[in-house]
Amino acid sequence: MIIPIRCFSCGKVIGSDYRRFESEINQIRSRNREPTSDEISAIMDGLGLERYCCRRMILSHIELIDEIMPFS
Amino acid sequence: MSSTREQKISIMEVRDNFMRFEISNITEGVANALRRTLINDIPKLAIDKVVFRHGQIRDSMGNVFDSSLPLFDEIVAHRIGLIPIKTDSKMNFREECSCEGRGCSLCTVSYNIDKTGPGEVYSGDLVPFTGNVELKPTDPFIPIIKLGPKQALLVTAEATMGTGKTHAKWQVTSGVSFKYHREFKINKDENEGWEKVKNDYPKSVVGETKEFLTITDDYQQRGVMNFINTSTHRSVINQTKPVEIMEDKNRFIFKFETDGSLSAKETIKIALLRLPGRLNILHESIISPD
Repeated sequence: MIIPIRCFSCGKVIGSDYRRFESEINQIRSRNREPTSDEISAIMDGLGLERYCCRRMILSHIELIDEIMPFS
Repeated sequence: MSSTREQKISIMEVRDNFMRFEISNITEGVANALRRTLINDIPKLAIDKVVFRHGQIRDSMGNVFDSSLPLFDEIVAHRIGLIPIKTDSKMNFREECSCEGRGCSLCTVSYNIDKTGPGEVYSGDLVPFTGNVELKPTDPFIPIIKLGPKQALLVTAEATMGTGKTHAKWQVTSGVSFKYHREFKINKDENEGWEKVKNDYPKSVVGETKEFLTITDDYQQRGVMNFINTSTHRSVINQTKPVEIMEDKNRFIFKFETDGSLSAKETIKIALLRLPGRLNILHESIISPD
C-alpha cells in the first residue's frame, strides 16, 4: 500500500527512509543493471537501518498506493 | 551482594538520537526496570485527535476539490498519530493540567493540514497553529498519503502528552537493550599471535595480566567493532581453544535510540527521574494491599 511510518517491531521511524532508499536504487537501475545485495545492504546501512526488523520493512515493501488511487 | 558496592554510570557514546552507556553494580531487575521505563514511561507529544473536513473543499482560487481519499480516514488518522513531534518535556498531561482536561496551551498543540491534489502529503505539511508553534514534526519527509487530481485533505489535529504504555505513538525510544559487559580472555602461552592482537587493537579495549590478554567488544568508539571481526584477528584468536568469553554480571551496557522527539540525553534523564516513582508505586501497594 503506502510505506508504514514506523517499523512494526521496534517503532523506529522508517517512512521517510523509503523514499531515499528508492531514489538510490533507481540511480543504480538507471545504469541499466539491478543493484546487488551488497549495494542494497550498504544503502540501508547508510540510512541507519541497523536491525533486521527495520530492514525488512523497507526491503519487503511494495508500493501499491498508485493502484488504489482510482478507487477512492 | 552487588548492592553494597558503589553504582556507577559511564557514558560511552552520545549522539542526538542515540546513546550507549554502562551502569555497574546493579541487579538485572533494576536494569530491566530502567529498560522498561525507557520504552513505556517517557512522556512525549503525539497527535491524539484528528478532525477531517468532509464534503467539497475550495481553495483560494475557487477550484472545487473532493474530500474522499485513497485510504480510509482511520488509516490516515493513525498515520498522522505515528509521526514524531518535537516535544517540550515541561508540558503537562491533559488530565493533570490546570485546565482540567479542556485543553490549553500547556497541554495541547493544534495542527492543520491544508493540501490539494494531485501530489503527496508529507509530515512537513503539518503546521502547528495554537500552543507552542515551535513543536513541529521532527522529520518533514514522512509520506502521509497520496492525493489524486481533484482530491484535497483538510484536517485539524490535536497533540497531547502520553506515554508508551497507552499507544506506540507515544513511545520515544526504539531498540532499547542491555547486555553484560563481556571480555575475551586469551591465554598468552597457548596463543602465539597475542602480541599482534595487542598492538592492533585500540588501547581502550585491551587489558593485560601476566598470563592473559583481555579484549572487550564494548567498544569505546564507532568502527572498532568491525575491526574485531577482521579475519586476520579471528584466525589468530581461533587457532586453538584457549579463548574464554567472560561475562561480568555486575556491569550492564545499555543502548537505545530515540525518534527525535526528545534527545537521547533528555530521555535518559527523564527515565532516571521516573524510575524511583515507579518503584514507589510498587512499594506503597505492598504496604497497603487494597
